[in-house]
Amino acid sequence: MTDTATRPIADAPPRTTGARGGVAARLASGPLPWLLPAVAMLGLFYLYPVIEAVRLAFTDARLFDTETAFSMRSVSSLAGSSTLGTILRNTLSYTVASVVGQIALGLAIALLVVRAERARLRGTLVLRTIVLAAWVIPAIANGIIWQLLFSEAPFGAINSALRMAGVAPVAWLSDPGNAMLSAVIATIWQGTAYSMILLYAALKTIDTALYEAAAIDAARPWERFWFITLPHLRPALLVNAILILIMTLNMFDTILALTGGGPGRATEILSLYAYGTVFQNFELGRGAALSMLLLVISLTLTALLTLLLPQERR
Amino acid sequence: MAKLDLSAITKSFGATRVLDQVSLSVPDREFVVVVGPSGCGKSTLLRIVAGLEAASAGEVLLDDRPVSQLSPGQRNVAMVFQNYALYPHLTVAANIGFGLRRARMRRAEKREAVARVARLLEIEPLLNRRPGALSGGQRQRVAMGRAIIRNPAVFLFDEPLSNLDARLRMQMRSEIRALHRAVPTTTLYVTHDQIEAMTMADRVVVMNGGRIEQIGTPTEVYSAPRTTFVAGFIGMPSINMIPARYRGDALELPSTTLPVPAAVKPRLAGHAGRDLLVGLRPEHLDIRPGGDGLVAEVDQIEPTGSETLVYLDHPAMRLSARTAPDTALSPGMQVGLRLLLERASFFDAETGLNLVPPPSNLTGELTA
Repeated sequence: MTDTATRPIADAPPRTTGARGGVAARLASGPLPWLLPAVAMLGLFYLYPVIEAVRLAFTDARLFDTETAFSMRSVSSLAGSSTLGTILRNTLSYTVASVVGQIALGLAIALLVVRAERARLRGTLVLRTIVLAAWVIPAIANGIIWQLLFSEAPFGAINSALRMAGVAPVAWLSDPGNAMLSAVIATIWQGTAYSMILLYAALKTIDTALYEAAAIDAARPWERFWFITLPHLRPALLVNAILILIMTLNMFDTILALTGGGPGRATEILSLYAYGTVFQNFELGRGAALSMLLLVISLTLTALLTLLLPQERR
Repeated sequence: MAKLDLSAITKSFGATRVLDQVSLSVPDREFVVVVGPSGCGKSTLLRIVAGLEAASAGEVLLDDRPVSQLSPGQRNVAMVFQNYALYPHLTVAANIGFGLRRARMRRAEKREAVARVARLLEIEPLLNRRPGALSGGQRQRVAMGRAIIRNPAVFLFDEPLSNLDARLRMQMRSEIRALHRAVPTTTLYVTHDQIEAMTMADRVVVMNGGRIEQIGTPTEVYSAPRTTFVAGFIGMPSINMIPARYRGDALELPSTTLPVPAAVKPRLAGHAGRDLLVGLRPEHLDIRPGGDGLVAEVDQIEPTGSETLVYLDHPAMRLSARTAPDTALSPGMQVGLRLLLERASFFDAETGLNLVPPPSNLTGELTA
């Protein structure tokens, strides 16, 4: 302590006292100690499993076999697989339809809520809460709910309603052509809440004076949307698209509960296929390779969307 | 180019009455500044003229045509907002040209119109920038450009200078006036800053509590305020209000009695024995040895360079006086005061009204 007293006093109050604090202070001023906890957590629970999955993809591991050998068979078997082609087509149509549907519907509801709030209408909070309620339901329960709704048995709610309206019942889940549509509807119904909240928050940040200026400039509704709302929402829409894309690509519990991937392979998407490969066929190596494929697809699409994000707001 | 009339505009939000029977006539090309403390309803009034709010009762007339049923875009008004409300994703040129979207003009004509406005406002080099890359003063000009280009019937300004620093505010004040001279357009300008009102207006409308307190030229509202509110709101430092009673040709003031000058007597006639307030501007209060028998203690001295403001404490009131810059006063001194009663305004202490009502000027005819 005595040597600190003889040192000239710095203009900033000293953060540490004594020589002992020197190393700790130097460390604390660098980024490493602050990053370490996060790096450790991510490494342990995210990075390690990914590396392990990569390793497994290059083995012939089976779920209940302890003996494994390195092999290219898991990976190479995917190359010529016609099943995988079907799965990828399913994944593409399911993902595109769900993502577009969730963003469009979420945006529509968010615009509606903001508009209602500006008009000082009652009930906007109730509406927001109802929409959010869908998001609170676990995906697997969502699948079961929609299975009951779509059910072609006499108690199926949608078909009952159609019958009452004098419309012929629809084979929602048993017709391979309709099953994918049903899966997309169930996914959109649940995921819309997420888009809605994200876009609602973004809409709330838009200065209302801009809309007033546009009103005085005699802008029509589409012009207000095109020149004010949409440019402001661009970053939020892209972030929303990235998040929903990842969630939808990884979605499997709703479909598992709704159709189980059927009829046939009509609604089997990549994540469900990987699940089946591991837990029904016990082909751990092949399942790991499929997971890698899913990871690569997710990363590529995310990277592409990220490129569209404005680097800095001007 | 248009005449703007407001007839008995009333606006209530729920149980709160924000505007109460506000009537105002603005002749073609006049620059009218509406001034008042925050919450007095001046911005609401402007928004009702713009069509952004609907009046609960009353009518807005443009060239004697009621416009209350028209949308803001149909009224042919232009507005400059407090935060400018420039479209952040459009260039300056696109912002200025926004109002011409549907004008029947060729593309080259529109570009020429934008260039002309940019030249007028000296923002030509900025045309390709976005609003985010502009300074406050530049944004202000772009906002005005967007308003001018449509050649509107009425210009509306909603506290346009309050986001600027003092020096820029002063510069923009004179630029807006110059612009009005170059493009004479009926203008309604809302501000809480009485300096803006005094320096820019052809006529000033002083509002308080949802009502118009006085309409008049800057000189009128300054030297002949209709109410104690106007007297206190206009002028910096505030007017001195001295309680008094008129009795037997003399004014009984706190701690002294002054004879009333002959010129002032007619103004006080008929108010003998009533409680009055003598409104005296700081420049009409002379600090001099002896004075009129009114003695106060110097509390604070504020030299501004061109003059020195002296704040004084008297047991009954606080006073301020404007003196020459080379004053030898110092805080704590006891000084005598002389009141220039000829220049004073006299108010009824109970009603707050000037004993001599100034010309009402509600009709909007320029008195010059």
